[in-house]
Amino acid sequence: MHIAEGYLPPLHAVAWTAASAPFVVHGVRVLTREVREHPESTLLLGASGAFTFVLSALKIPSVTGSCSHPTGTGLGAILFRPPVMAVLGTITLLFQALLLAHGGLTTLGANVFSMAVVGPWVGYGLYRLVRRLGLPLMVAVFAGAFAADLSTYCVTSVQLALAFPDPGSGVPGALAKFGGIFAVTQIPLAVSEGLLTVLVMRLLSQSSAGELIRLGVFARGNARQDGQQGDEQGQDRQRKRVA
Amino acid sequence: MLPIDAAAHSSRWRHRHPLEKAVLGLGLTVLAITLPAWPGAPLVAAATLAVLLGPAGVPVRRLWRAFRLPLGFCVTGAVPLLFRVGGPGGGLVALDPAGPAHATQLLLRTSAASLGLLLFAFTTPVSDVVPRLVRAGVPPAVVDVALVTYRMSFLLLDSVSRVGQAQAARLGHNSRAARWRSLAGLGATAFVRAFDRAGRLQTGLAGRGYDGTLRVLVPATRVSGRFLTATAALLAGVTALTLVLEGLVT
Repeated sequence: MHIAEGYLPPLHAVAWTAASAPFVVHGVRVLTREVREHPESTLLLGASGAFTFVLSALKIPSVTGSCSHPTGTGLGAILFRPPVMAVLGTITLLFQALLLAHGGLTTLGANVFSMAVVGPWVGYGLYRLVRRLGLPLMVAVFAGAFAADLSTYCVTSVQLALAFPDPGSGVPGALAKFGGIFAVTQIPLAVSEGLLTVLVMRLLSQSSAGELIRLGVFARGNARQDGQQGDEQGQDRQRKRVA
Repeated sequence: MLPIDAAAHSSRWRHRHPLEKAVLGLGLTVLAITLPAWPGAPLVAAATLAVLLGPAGVPVRRLWRAFRLPLGFCVTGAVPLLFRVGGPGGGLVALDPAGPAHATQLLLRTSAASLGLLLFAFTTPVSDVVPRLVRAGVPPAVVDVALVTYRMSFLLLDSVSRVGQAQAARLGHNSRAARWRSLAGLGATAFVRAFDRAGRLQTGLAGRGYDGTLRVLVPATRVSGRFLTATAALLAGVTALTLVLEGLVT
């Protein structure tokens, strides 16, 4: 999913950085305002960034029998909202480049655009739409995570197709080529990530109701309706079970 | 700790100013993508390897372990360039006659650029870079969040690894259903532990008069003019040699 260091021509690298900049700047403003109003949010946002980093390091079993990593953008967007995810995603991608040699610095803008901007916005948009239609929470969570994962790969395919047009059929041919390659692996992976996110959210709704209410995922009054166990005793029991 | 960060903390150049290493490592990366792939990329890769294994003192085995991952991405990324969609034969996909040359150029360029990035990563701990980003114009709130993220990531990774071992010991990876259950448990545990740790950190910091700013001691180091001059000479030398050799080839 990460475009490797040096893979994009210089002009493309600059253009994708410019395209992602407004979203990241907007996210930085939202985050700065939040920290100014609630200084304790620094630690929670840092914890959210670390959670995003660790989530992207988990290995999910793929249909073909191999393993891959979830993008984590869908769950991140549902929990922390897309503007904050743009900043947390950028920090995570920077750390992945410097600590794991995943992605790169010249391709950071392109990776941010696909994974920290488009993925979270598409995933969150679909999640909100499904919730507004009155469908159950877990259906919305699955739809959000699935769409976030798949849209990330679609944007990556477009980025690669624009950088390397097919010699015979140009950008559309290259898009079919890169999209076709991704489709074989990424559609099953998007389904896998959707299922994993539903399972994680189910556990979180039982063990971390307070945090989810604080993040605004559940409305305070509707917490019980959203399938949570409200009492402290139940939360402690579930937390132990998760651990 | 992750292997690259551990190596950076014990690097020979650990106490050099991050700006010096950024100019060198990222300068070589920029050269790798801007100079003609042939003969630019092999020259950049050779210069970077010479610095990595020579003055920077990065062990070959550690470098290879870190480099094989981006190399794998480079190889898989170059394969699609071997083919074209449609063609004179009428088939849906055909081998592109110019594909091998394009794929080789891309492979050379991405490999050289990745080595430049690794030169920076292997000599500069992230903890040295992040606090200095304030001077580069990054808002302090973002730098603080990045610092907490960095420090908490290692604790969470360790936590998740231990929980994974415990799950495996309780036959949590024995069947497909069990693997999914265990994986969901891992994700949820990471969330619970991250927020629990943030809460405890908050309580601890509040007791010490936390006002919203994390004050971190950054070792005082000076930017070496000699190092920067040598870096400029190396970058200029690689550029000049590439252009001369390219002229000879064409």
